[in-house]
Amino acid sequence: MGRPFGGPVPDPALRLSRIEKRYGGTVAVAGIDLDVADGEFVTLLGPSGCGKTTTLGLIAGFFPPTSGEIYLKGKPVADLPSFRRDIGVVFQDYALFPHMTVAQNVAFGLRMRKVGASETATRVNQALDLVKLGGFGDRRPLQMSGGQRQRVALARALVINPAVLLLDEPLSNLDLKLREEMRVEIVSIQRRLGITTVFVTHDQGEALVMSDRIAVMNHGRIEQIGDPASIYEAPATRFVAEFIGRMNLLSGTVMPDRAVRIGDTTFAMEVPADIASGAAVHVAIRPERARLTDEHPADGIALPGIVRQVFYLGATREVHVDLPNGERGFVQLHNEGSDAVVATGSAVWLSSSAANCRVLPA
Amino acid sequence: MSSFARWRASRAPWAGLRFVVILVYIFSLGPILITAAVSFNSGNRSFFPPRGLSFRWWERAFTAEWLGPLWFSIKLGSLTALIATLLALPMAFALHRYRFRGRDALVAMTLGPLMLPSLVTGVGLLQLFELLGLREYVGFTALLVGHAVICMPFAVRTVAISLSTLPPNMELAAASLGATRWATLRYIVLPLVKTGVIAGAVFAFIHSFTDVNLSIFLARPGEIPITVKILGFLEFGFAPTLAAVAVITLLLPLVLVAIVERVSGLGDFIYGDRR
Repeated sequence: MGRPFGGPVPDPALRLSRIEKRYGGTVAVAGIDLDVADGEFVTLLGPSGCGKTTTLGLIAGFFPPTSGEIYLKGKPVADLPSFRRDIGVVFQDYALFPHMTVAQNVAFGLRMRKVGASETATRVNQALDLVKLGGFGDRRPLQMSGGQRQRVALARALVINPAVLLLDEPLSNLDLKLREEMRVEIVSIQRRLGITTVFVTHDQGEALVMSDRIAVMNHGRIEQIGDPASIYEAPATRFVAEFIGRMNLLSGTVMPDRAVRIGDTTFAMEVPADIASGAAVHVAIRPERARLTDEHPADGIALPGIVRQVFYLGATREVHVDLPNGERGFVQLHNEGSDAVVATGSAVWLSSSAANCRVLPA
Repeated sequence: MSSFARWRASRAPWAGLRFVVILVYIFSLGPILITAAVSFNSGNRSFFPPRGLSFRWWERAFTAEWLGPLWFSIKLGSLTALIATLLALPMAFALHRYRFRGRDALVAMTLGPLMLPSLVTGVGLLQLFELLGLREYVGFTALLVGHAVICMPFAVRTVAISLSTLPPNMELAAASLGATRWATLRYIVLPLVKTGVIAGAVFAFIHSFTDVNLSIFLARPGEIPITVKILGFLEFGFAPTLAAVAVITLLLPLVLVAIVERVSGLGDFIYGDRR
C-alpha cells in the first residue's frame, strides 16, 4: 500500500461518505465515514440496534441510504441496485437456496454472470476445496450441519471474486467450539485471498481476534475506529471501554493542576487535553492490570478497600473490592498455582501504575 | 388430580373421538359407495343393494351425451385453473410484499368470492353480460370469467401461504450474487413457491369442475358443464346412468389430487424440499 513514487492516493476498496439511513423518525445510521483499504479486514462491532447490520445492508445495496455516498473501488454505487454491485454477502442464517444442491448454490453467482459451464465447474470445485467441502457438491443444504452450511455460504460469496466480502454475524448460529474454529479459518482464507472484508458482529472476542481494524458502533455512529490493540488499550469513550473487554470505572474529578481526584485522594495521571479542569471523569483500569496488595504501594494510584467476593475462574481469580466512595473495583489475578488466596473481608489496596489508567469523559 | 384431568387421562375422549371420526367416514363415503354400487344394477331402476350385475349404464355413460359435457368441464376447469393461477401470482406477491393504501379492500375483493354464495355471483355476471350487450358470450366465455373469479381466492391463498414460508433473505442473497429481480423470481422465488402454485391450480380446477351454483346461470345449450348436465337430467328422475356419470366426475378430481400429491406434495408448503 506504500506509494514509492508519490503518485496519487489510490482509492480505498470501499469508502462510506457521510452515510445516513433514517426510517421515518428513527435514525438507524447517523452519518458514517469509513475507508476500508484493499485487502483489509474491518469489523463493525456494537450491540444490537447500533446500526451495524443496517450499514452492511447499505454497502450491499439492499436498501438505499437516506443521504451520503458509497464508493466501491472509487466508483459511486449508492444508486446501484445490489445485483449491479460487485459484492459477496454471507448472511447470519446463511440464506442458502434450499431447492438447489451445494454446487448449484455456489454456481449461482457465476450463472448470473453467464460464466461458461466448464469454467463454472472448475471455479465451483476450487471454492468448495477452499472451504474444505470438496466432494460435497451434490448434497442439499438441508442435509448439512450448521458449520457446513456456513462454509457453503462462504464459498458461494467468494466464488464470484467480489470487490468486497460482507459478513453479517456469520458465526453467531454456531456452537462455541465451531465458532472459534471458523474464526481462524475465515481469517486465514481472507488473508490468503487478500479480499477486502467487512465483518459485522456483536462479539468483541471475535472482533479482537479477526480484525485488522475495528469500528465500534453505538447509536448509529462509529464511536472509535482503530486496530484491536489500540481499541483495547486506549478506548476513547466509556462505551468503548465497557463494550470491549471488562473495565474498572472509578469516578473522579480533574483538578486545576491536571491531576485526578478519586474519593479524597489526588493522583497524577495523563488527562487528555480536551477534558477541561473541574470536569467529572471516569478513570478506567483493566482488571488484569490492577494489583492487590496488603501494603500501600510505592507509586501509581492506590485505593483502600475491603475484599467483598472472590470468584474462581480456572485460569484466573476475580477479586471484587468495595472502595470507600461506595464504588466497587475488581482485579483479575492469574492462577499461578500458589495457595495465596485473598480472604473475603480482608483489607487490601487496589492499585495500578498511572500508565495503566485511562481518563475518560464521564 | 382434578376430575377434568382424570377424564382427559382416561380413554373416554379417545373413544368419543373415534366414534365421531367413524360417523364422518360413514356419512361422507357411504353415499359414494352406494352410488357406485347402484351404477352396476342390471334392471332399469336404481336399487341398493344392486340387483344383478351389468355394465350397460356405464356403456351409456360413455356416450357423446355425457362425454361432451365432461370434456367441456375439463376444458373449462383447466383454463380456469390457468387463468386463476396467473392472476393469483402477482396478486399474492403484492399482498404479501407491500403495505399499501387499499390493500385491505383488495384482500376483501380477492377473498370475497369465498364468502359470497356463487349463486349470487352467477346471477350478477349474467346480468352484467346482458347489460354490456355481450349476451352471445354467455356460455363458455362467461363461465370462464365467472369460474376465474370464484376460483382465484384458492390460488391466492395457497400462493400467499407458500410465500410466507419462504426462508428469509432468499431474495437478498440472490441479488447479492448478481441476480436481477426477474432472475430472482425465475430461479429462486418461483421454484420455492412451486408447491403452493400447483396446489392453487389444483384447487381452482376442482372448484371449477364441481361448481354448479354459478354454472347453472351461465351455461347455454351445447356449452354445458357436466354438473349442470347432471342437474338437468335429474329432473327426469335418478337413473343408474347418472350413478355411473357421478362416479366418473367424482374420480376425476380424486385421481388428479392423487397424482399431484405424488409428484409435488400438495399438503406441504414448507420450504422447498420435503423433509
